Amino acid sequence: MKKNTFYLLIGCIAIALVCIFWAADELHAPLLIMVAFIAAVALIFFARSKVTDLIQDERDIKITEQAMTRTMQVFWVVFCAFSIGAVVQMLQVPSFPRTLPGQRVVTLLSPRLMGFVQLGFLCLMIFLYVGFRIYYARKYGEWDSDEE
Amino acid sequence: MPGNTGNGTPMKNKIKVFRAMNDLTQDSLAHAIGVNRQTILAIEKGKYVPSLDLAFKIARYFKVNVEEVFIYDDEIPAEPAGA
Repeated sequence: MKKNTFYLLIGCIAIALVCIFWAADELHAPLLIMVAFIAAVALIFFARSKVTDLIQDERDIKITEQAMTRTMQVFWVVFCAFSIGAVVQMLQVPSFPRTLPGQRVVTLLSPRLMGFVQLGFLCLMIFLYVGFRIYYARKYGEWDSDEE
Repeated sequence: MPGNTGNGTPMKNKIKVFRAMNDLTQDSLAHAIGVNRQTILAIEKGKYVPSLDLAFKIARYFKVNVEEVFIYDDEIPAEPAGA
């Protein structure tokens, strides 16, 4: 398989995933998009192994590793902070009065809000990874040009 | 062509010189040792320090010792023996 065919395939898979996401939302079947996503990733990995003109050398691997490491270093802090807050809310420690008399109880993490927060995490992870990848690619001379 | 190993130690290399001596382009060298042209460019410019494996591949391609292509340029002079 040629490199451009592979990129075309990724585009098709992305469009298919968006359609499946919409269908899963309409049918209220979250399992559908979950299975489809895993299948799509497996398909991409399989297709990538069949690409003949894509050279991934040690510098590419290093850029990917560094970007992923930095992404995880930032992401886990944000994720853990949120998760700890969620755990506290889940436990609902009854020892302390949570509100003053007459004050409304504010639920910070409703199930709907949790979905939006998860979406935010997903976007954060993607943006962090892309940002770090650009940084390290530049650091290791990805876009440098020479006199040749 | 100074580089940096990441711990502050500069690493120099003579890939460009050897390429010129062998009349090779970056692309042809990259293709011969199985890396991208950008990797050769990054090594030449000192932006990336190759692994031992890649360093040996480059040196063997030019049929020289690895020390002739890559120079570990630590500025601290070695202590004389018995000092």
